[in-house]
Amino acid sequence: MIAYTSARPGLATWALVGPLAAFAVNLGAAVVTNPVFRRQTYLLIFHLALIAIILLLATGRLTYLKGQLELAEGEVFDGQLTQEESGPWHPRKLDSLRFSNEGFSVEYAQGVRRGATRNKVAWTDADGRVHREVIGDQNALILAGYRFYTSFNKGFAPAFVWYPAPGAQPVVGTVHLPAYPLHEYKQSIEWMPPGSKTPLWVMLQFDEVILDPEKPSEFRLPSKHQMVVRAGALRQELKPGDAMRLAEGVLVYDGLRSWMGYTVFYDFTLPWLLAAGVLAVLSLAMHFWVKFSAKPWDKPN
Amino acid sequence: MTLELELQTLWAALVFYVLAGTVAIFGVVLQRKPERTVLGLLLAGLALQTLSIAFRWERLGHGPYITMYEILLSNIWSLLSVYVLAYWRIPPIRATAAVVMPILFVMMGWLLMTSPNAGHLPATYHTIWLFIHIGFGKVFLGTVLVAVGISGIILLRQSGYGGKRFARMPDDGRLDELSFRFMAIGLIFDTLMLIAGAIWAQDAWGRYWNWDPLETWAFLTWLFVAFSLHARFTYETSPRTGALMVMGVFVLAFLTFFGVPFISPSPHKGAI
Repeated sequence: MIAYTSARPGLATWALVGPLAAFAVNLGAAVVTNPVFRRQTYLLIFHLALIAIILLLATGRLTYLKGQLELAEGEVFDGQLTQEESGPWHPRKLDSLRFSNEGFSVEYAQGVRRGATRNKVAWTDADGRVHREVIGDQNALILAGYRFYTSFNKGFAPAFVWYPAPGAQPVVGTVHLPAYPLHEYKQSIEWMPPGSKTPLWVMLQFDEVILDPEKPSEFRLPSKHQMVVRAGALRQELKPGDAMRLAEGVLVYDGLRSWMGYTVFYDFTLPWLLAAGVLAVLSLAMHFWVKFSAKPWDKPN
Repeated sequence: MTLELELQTLWAALVFYVLAGTVAIFGVVLQRKPERTVLGLLLAGLALQTLSIAFRWERLGHGPYITMYEILLSNIWSLLSVYVLAYWRIPPIRATAAVVMPILFVMMGWLLMTSPNAGHLPATYHTIWLFIHIGFGKVFLGTVLVAVGISGIILLRQSGYGGKRFARMPDDGRLDELSFRFMAIGLIFDTLMLIAGAIWAQDAWGRYWNWDPLETWAFLTWLFVAFSLHARFTYETSPRTGALMVMGVFVLAFLTFFGVPFISPSPHKGAI
């Protein structure tokens, strides 16, 4: 438990792997030296399966990855995570993975209680074929062993086109506002255009109720809104297509999108752990079956 | 289906359970064997409670595994189902009803004090693994309850109170053996519950295990069950020690099932 919650994940990993390995060795020594395991095959299998589980857990901690990312609608994942922790032996294959967020829906019950999330995603396989899938809640997108799940985090993402100095290529991008409805009353963020040294403060303004507490509703973009942009003393309210001239370039507001938060998890030991767990249960059940059926409980020794 | 009809059916079921328990306790005190009456009353109560749960399921569109009311409701049903099966199949242990029913009376009283209003079904609960996880958990707790009933007899006899009243039951050695057979079945279902729960947690929350309070307590319970079986088979503990270990497992499992999910801030709530 301490190992899992430590602020130093590298140390935490070894703090967990060490005792697990010692436990496996201890259990292995008991299996080798105790003659009962040579007389009772199912008991032997159960303990070997336990050793396998312990070693797989340790291996999993050395090679796992857990992280988070956010993608605006239409954006392609480029291998970058906003947060991550991983084991020291994690074989990083994430950088070569690509998938795009093609929009999502999230249902809400009365009282703004979150229901089903359905997120359309697309990716291209090694043969160049495009695949489309709906993920969310129980259904992960699995690419090269990495499992991508939608999270409860999502929100609004204003898209901007930034025109730096004349002659330079314009840059298109989105700014992810704080999660909605978690931060319903704080839909603003400070942000810096690429190559600029001037921080911009952007705020989404709209009057309508998106998620009505009185009735079932669905996450959606507001039908009417404006984007407030402030750069130092300069303040402007932008609608899609409006531009704002700044000292280092021109900022054009392209419109409002949504963004979805994802968690990603990698642990190649998962199917092996399941197999070892099932083997352990089956062998334990067989051990008790053989033991108990040999003698009725109400007969004296 | 209305909440009123559901509650009326439940009350009728509880009346049958209370009658069954009362008859069982008087049977022990007066040294009679009203076994057929107790079985009949328990079955009538179970039938009515099944109806009450079905009414609720139909009305809300989901099973009884979200609110404290639903968790108590479904666990009283499952615990009694497992116990009635043992009561029917193993006649020598029928006097254990005098130990088991008071435990269930406490749960029934608790049930009546909780709100029967509907809760919100989280999106992550729409999976078959939830049913499998819950099902294994209920069988586990049911088998431990049967072991508790048997262990209660051993402890009552050793305390001097039950020696005469439970004289017709098998000796402590035999009861100890049976109690631990139920614990062994419990260990298997507890393990299955953890495996099914890990599969569900992987896809519900993106991790199969995170040491959240409920997971930690469930693992401690599993460890204690495994330890008690190990101690029983390796060191051939006395019936009294064995009975105390069974009681310890039950207390730990009870806290895990009915205490931790409702004080924990983690997303792993209810659904037992």
